Amino acid sequence: MKSPFAYQPRPRPLQLASPGAAVAYLGAIVAVAFLYSNPLVLLAAGAAAVTAGLLAGARRAVWFALKMGLALALLIVVVNALVVDRGATVVARLGEWPLLGRVDVTFEALVAGLSSGLRAAVTMVAAAVYSACVDPDRVLRVLRPLARRSALTATLVSRLVPVAAADAARLRDAGRLRGPAAAPVGKAPLARRLLAGSLDRAVDVAATLELRGYSLDAPPARNRRSRSRYDRRFYAVAAFGLIAATAARALGADDFQTYPTVEIGLGGATLALSGLVALSGLAPLRRKQNRRSPSADGTKVPLYGGKSSRRRAVVDRSGEVARV
Amino acid sequence: MSELAIRRGAAPALAVRGLTYAYPQAAQPALEDVSLEVAPGEFVLLAGRSASGKSTLLRAACGLVPHFHGGEIEGEVRVADLDAIGAGPGELAIAVGYLAQDPETQVVSTTVAAEIELPLEMRGDDPLDRARAVEEVALALGIPHLLDRTVDTLSGGELQRVALAAALVTRPKLILLDEPTSQLDPVAGDELIWLLRRLNEEWGVAVLLAEHRLERCLAAADRVLAMEAGRLSFDGAPTDFLAWARGNDPTLEPPAARLFALAGIDPLPVGVRAARQTLRGMGVAHPPNRSGRRVSDPLPQVPVLQAKGLWVELDRGDDPRDVLQGVELTINRGERVALMGRNGAGKSTLLRTAAGLHDPVVGKLSVESIALLTQNPSDYLVRERVGDELPGDEGLAALRVVGLEHKVDADPRDLSGGERQRLALAIALAGQMQGAKLPALVALDEPTRGMDHARKGELVNLIAELTANVDFVNQGATKATGAAVVVATHDVEFASEFAERVVLLGDGVVIADGPMAEILSGGWYFATEVARVLDLPGVVTPAQGAEALREERS
Repeated sequence: MKSPFAYQPRPRPLQLASPGAAVAYLGAIVAVAFLYSNPLVLLAAGAAAVTAGLLAGARRAVWFALKMGLALALLIVVVNALVVDRGATVVARLGEWPLLGRVDVTFEALVAGLSSGLRAAVTMVAAAVYSACVDPDRVLRVLRPLARRSALTATLVSRLVPVAAADAARLRDAGRLRGPAAAPVGKAPLARRLLAGSLDRAVDVAATLELRGYSLDAPPARNRRSRSRYDRRFYAVAAFGLIAATAARALGADDFQTYPTVEIGLGGATLALSGLVALSGLAPLRRKQNRRSPSADGTKVPLYGGKSSRRRAVVDRSGEVARV
Repeated sequence: MSELAIRRGAAPALAVRGLTYAYPQAAQPALEDVSLEVAPGEFVLLAGRSASGKSTLLRAACGLVPHFHGGEIEGEVRVADLDAIGAGPGELAIAVGYLAQDPETQVVSTTVAAEIELPLEMRGDDPLDRARAVEEVALALGIPHLLDRTVDTLSGGELQRVALAAALVTRPKLILLDEPTSQLDPVAGDELIWLLRRLNEEWGVAVLLAEHRLERCLAAADRVLAMEAGRLSFDGAPTDFLAWARGNDPTLEPPAARLFALAGIDPLPVGVRAARQTLRGMGVAHPPNRSGRRVSDPLPQVPVLQAKGLWVELDRGDDPRDVLQGVELTINRGERVALMGRNGAGKSTLLRTAAGLHDPVVGKLSVESIALLTQNPSDYLVRERVGDELPGDEGLAALRVVGLEHKVDADPRDLSGGERQRLALAIALAGQMQGAKLPALVALDEPTRGMDHARKGELVNLIAELTANVDFVNQGATKATGAAVVVATHDVEFASEFAERVVLLGDGVVIADGPMAEILSGGWYFATEVARVLDLPGVVTPAQGAEALREERS
């Protein structure tokens, strides 16, 4: 079964955008999450990452990342509550614990953990959206002239990770199909077998790279400027979001205190920034074409005006109608 | 030599002189004193048994030997006048493309377009030149609709075409192919061979193709090379090769040639078309008779597998798909069944569901007991001693069933391909044999990939033993212990040798089910070469065909 985080090409703005634009956009959401501790802003950043992923069609990636991210957030909340004894509002006294000593769970520690957990969850969702929506080949093509060896390593890894996952699934199936009198597979022999298989695969991939000319000392190939008509939108949203976040922080939008008592700032700047950050998740929205519906009498109305119109509809390779 | 001169084909596409090569730490050389030439635009078929040196020769011609594999090499290999031993595979890529058996191992990018473009990018070609070359090779191979897809969503046939496109995108003068059809269904396999022929004729690409299923490609070849134990044992025209194979290695003889030889007809045909022309010239013609009559006796009715309205849905990560759609099937004890159909028809899914690896979404599947051997026998081998894989008396009993009881102390990695396969089968069988009784159903998924004819013969014998009423534990006592054997396969010739019944799946539905001779003589793609030559209901093997021809002539 294909990983939910595997890249899936779709004719959506985020997939069509150049890697730089996509990284800038998703990176800005993560940057906001690291600039702020206020849970409201973090929730807004999370909503932006989730909305962006859903609009890009990466529903499974978002869902899996949310599950993993929220599980991690919960773990952080629990650990923080157990190991931090600061805070004025004790919600539970758990007595003496080995290694931890006296454990008093405070409301403030829970909220502080929630803030860190939300940050981790936002980062995971954004990373999942990146993984599912940004073409790794295009990223490697950008990296290759800059760092050839690193790009080679990344190529091998990006190919071998899904192949190793498929090998592991096959080996698990073969383990289930062994007769009851055959020796049980055991984790160590299975791991050894998987490693040996991965090495064989790596040799095959390396041979293919040799045949494709990876070892040639040819000058780095020039690349097409892989821009899309959506790049400006993503760069603009990223820049605007970062500038707004920095400015709002200077204006006190990150008004959030956990100890000794919780104080969450909900001032105008915080609310405005949260709204703005949440709205940034709409950047991958694809505008519907301004098609005119057939007239009431059923006659077809030409796109973009009649014969006299100087605009005409063309279909680009991704199948989208663009105006020229 | 300049690139322009290479492109004009001024030199032989491949020239090998006195080539001897041994892999690192190998006791015997893989190639011994091999000399040959392939002219520009020639289509050459490389025949030979497994381990005869075919793959090594191809690897030497593309520079992987010795540059990638190491070892000791003597002699000369020139590809379009480039010194293949001096130059590396990357430098040779301008003149030679290479396509290996398993397309999975030949893709390194995520999307099809990036995969095809990679060799040009490595050469430093201009972006516009790259875009045009990708577009042209995609059009030539009929895959422009795949360009924006990711490689993990492609079928085996599609992936093989993408790998071929990546090998051809630099417009090499020579393309080397190592059993490229072994994992393809008959439709995709035939398409690939004729695609190669078209490229050969229209682009002038010289082709050196190693294949076991000679019936598939002999008619397309200009010349045949045969290898035996690392040496070139034959070099000549396809018609001469048939005569040579008859006298020297009958396992290399295609079914149509065997049919003619058994019937005493000359000349031996290189393919279906030549065979039909010869028969027409002799005045032997058969009116098409598609009465659909059953040609064998009804089979005993002791069901070991019953599928009723079986629907199985698989989700490979994109969209869930109903791979099996209401399958109705009963398999009886002692039957030998070939489960056939194109790639993705649902053959493996049916066997895996029977073995409990998938659950039906609708319908019912009941199996008495099953041992399933999947497509990669190596997946079953995780230990370094055969006896450690199969300990105890029950393990030994399983080894005895497959004839490996004398290999208890061997390392599975030292076994031959056929022995590894039998060991994997023993692992699946172990403990499922209640006393002398085999599991009710033994299922093999594509067991003949990359096998030569001799090894297929061994497998046919093993299947016959599994279905026979033999007590393996007590060695010889006859009891009603035979298993039903179901083999998912694309290999129609193999199916005609072992099966008594063929079930044909199409898009998750059983579209034909009946006696082997009836099914394999009633179509075009899923028909043996003899059936395609004679077009007689129920006549599928060379022996049956020869008998029919003798009757017709008398």
